Amino acid sequence: MSDAVAMPVRHPVRALSGAPVLLGLLVLVFLLHIAVGAKPLAIGTVVDALVNFDAKNFDHVIVRNLRLPRAVIAVVVGASLALAGALMQGVTRNPLADPALLGLTAGASFTVVMASSLLGITTMALIPWIAMVGALGAALVVYVIARYVPGGATPLSLTLSGAAVSAFLGALISIAHLLDQDTFDNLRVWLTGGLAGRDINLLWSVGPWLAVALAAGIALAPRVTLLAMGDEVAQGLGVRTGRLKLQLLAVVVVLTACSVALAGPLGFIGLVIPHVVRLYVGSDYRWVAPYAALAGAIYLLSVDIVARIAIPPREISTGIITAMIGAPLFVHLVRRRMR
Amino acid sequence: MTSELVLRDGREWIALKLPVRALVALALLALALLVVSALSLATGSYGVALGELMETLRGITISRAIDNVVWEFRFPRILTSALVGAMMALSGAALQNATRNGLADPSLVGVSQGAALAVVTLTVLLPDQSGALRPWAAFFGAILVALAVQGLSRTRQGGNTIRFILVGIGLSAFISSITSTMMTYGQIDRAMAALAWLSGSINAASWNDVWTLSAALAVLMAALLGISRTMSALRFGEATAVGLGAPVRLVRNVQLLIAVALAAIATSVVGPLGFVGLIAPHAAQRLAPAGIGLHLMLTAMIGALLVSAADLVGRAAFAPIQIPAGLLTALIGVPIFIALLLRTRSAQTS
Repeated sequence: MSDAVAMPVRHPVRALSGAPVLLGLLVLVFLLHIAVGAKPLAIGTVVDALVNFDAKNFDHVIVRNLRLPRAVIAVVVGASLALAGALMQGVTRNPLADPALLGLTAGASFTVVMASSLLGITTMALIPWIAMVGALGAALVVYVIARYVPGGATPLSLTLSGAAVSAFLGALISIAHLLDQDTFDNLRVWLTGGLAGRDINLLWSVGPWLAVALAAGIALAPRVTLLAMGDEVAQGLGVRTGRLKLQLLAVVVVLTACSVALAGPLGFIGLVIPHVVRLYVGSDYRWVAPYAALAGAIYLLSVDIVARIAIPPREISTGIITAMIGAPLFVHLVRRRMR
Repeated sequence: MTSELVLRDGREWIALKLPVRALVALALLALALLVVSALSLATGSYGVALGELMETLRGITISRAIDNVVWEFRFPRILTSALVGAMMALSGAALQNATRNGLADPSLVGVSQGAALAVVTLTVLLPDQSGALRPWAAFFGAILVALAVQGLSRTRQGGNTIRFILVGIGLSAFISSITSTMMTYGQIDRAMAALAWLSGSINAASWNDVWTLSAALAVLMAALLGISRTMSALRFGEATAVGLGAPVRLVRNVQLLIAVALAAIATSVVGPLGFVGLIAPHAAQRLAPAGIGLHLMLTAMIGALLVSAADLVGRAAFAPIQIPAGLLTALIGVPIFIALLLRTRSAQTS
C-alpha cells in the first residue's frame, strides 16, 4: 500500500555501516552548533569546555550555561519528533503522517496554553502531562473524523482532518492570547516553535520520559515493519496488532508532547526525516527507527544553526525553517502519491 | 414542491418565473443584515442608544462625539465587514464552481496566504507606499499562488478535489513560513502593524476602504453574473458543459481570475478571513436552491451577514478586548468543513 513497503530491504551490513557515519556527523554538528553564535568560539575551546570545565574561563561559562542546554534540547527534540513521525508513518501506512500534520502538536500546545491562561498552571513538572493529554485528545479526534469520512482513514482524509483540527485549535489559542495578554507575552516565543531561551530545568523533568519513549519506540520498531504490511499479514505472523497499536500510540504521544513542552510546536520534522532515511536503509523499521532518531537530531541541530546565523543579529524561529524545508516535500509527496 | 411564482402578461410576451423561496430567503437575509448592522452601530466602548442612533442617521447632530463615532468609525466598519464578507463568499462560490470542488476556499487553497505574503512584504519593505499599492500587491501575490496550486495539482486525468486542497495546505504552510521570516526581519513596529492585519481584523476600516471595496465588488460581481449562464452549465460537469456548447476553458479561467481578484482585494483591506468562502455557497444552496444568478446573490448576502455578525460578536463578547473577525469565522468554519468532508463521495478521497 505504502510506496515505502515496495522498496527492497537493503543488506544489513550496508544498513549497519550508516551508524558510524551518522554518529560522527552528530558529534560534528553538535560541536559546531555550540561554537557558532554571537561570539564565535573555536571547536577546540568547545571541546575543552565540555571535557575539562574551568569556571573562571568566560568562554567555558558561555558553553556550559548558554549553549550546551540548547544543543542538548535540539538533539532530544529532533530525535523524538523524527522517531514519532517514522512510527506514525508505519502504523497508519501513511507517508504523509507527522505529529504536526495530524494535529498532535496543536493539541499539546492548546492544552498547555489553556492550562496556563485559564487555570494559571505554570508548574514546570506538570507541563509534560498537560501536553500529553492534549496530544492524545487531538490524535483521537483527528482519527475519529478521518475514520468516518467516506473511504475511511486514508492518508488524505487523515491529513485533511488534522489540518482542520489544527486550524480550529489555532484559532482558540489566538483568542486565548488576546484575552490574556500576560500569558501571551510568556508563551509567544514558545508558540512559534524555537529553541532559544529554553529552560534547562524542564529537560530534567521531561528527559526521563523521553528516554523511556525513545527506547520503547526503537524496541517496538521491528514489529512496525510487519504492521506496515497490513493488519492481516501482521496478525498471521503472530503480532497482536491491537495491543501493539496502543503501545505505539502511547510512545508517539509521549514523544510529541514532551517535544512540544521543550521546544514548542515544530512542524514537518517527523515528515521529512523518515523519508530521507528510507532512501538509504529501505523500509525495514529495525533500521528506519534508530536512524530516523539520529538523523532527526542532526537535522534539528543544523536547522537551528541556520536559524541563528541567517539574519544576524536576529534569530529566525526554528519552526519557520523546518516548515520552509518540509512544506515543499509535503507537496511533492502529495503529487507523487496521487498520480 | 415547486414554489415558483410565474408572472405573465396577457399575451404571454413576457413571462417571469420567480422562485419564491429564494426571494423570501434573500429578503430575510437582508433584514437580518440590517438588524446586525444596527446592533453593530449601537454597540461599542462609547454607548449610543438606539433612539440617538436613529436621530444621528437622519442627519441630526446630537453631539459631536456621537456624530464622530457613528459616521467616522462604526459606519465604515459595518459597511466594510458586509462588503468583505460578500466578496469572500463570492470568491468561494466562483472557486468551487471553477474547480468543481466543494471544499475550495480562498484561505484553504493558499490564495489568502499569497495575498498576505505580498502585503506583509510591502508593509515591511516599503511602509511609506503601502496604502495605495496594497490591493495590487495582494492581487499579484494571490494570482501567483492560485496558479501554482492549479499547476501542481493538475494531472493528466485533470484535477482532483482532495489533492487540490492538500497541495493548497502544503503551499500555504510554505508561504506562511516566508511571511513569518519577513516579520522577523522587519522593524518591530512595522511587524506589529502587519501582525494585527494578519489575524483578519476589521478594526481600522475607513471610508476610503469602503469606496475601494464597493467599486471592486460592483465590477467583479457584474462580471460574475455576466458569465453565470455558462457557470450553470459547468455545474453539470465539464463534459456536459462542453456538449452544451459552453466555452468551458475560457469561462473557467475568467472565473478563477474573478475569484482571485475578489479574495485578494478583500484580503488587502482586512487581512485573511478564513472559511467564509467555504461556508456561504453551501449555506445558500441549503437555504434555497435557485438558479445561479440568485444563488450568487444569496451567497453574497450570507457572506456579508456572516462577517458582520462575526465582527459584532468579536467586538461585544469580551469587550473591551476585540477578537478579530477572522478567528471567529475560523471557529465557525472548521466544524462545517469537517461536516462537508464527511459527506464527500468516497470516489473523491481514494
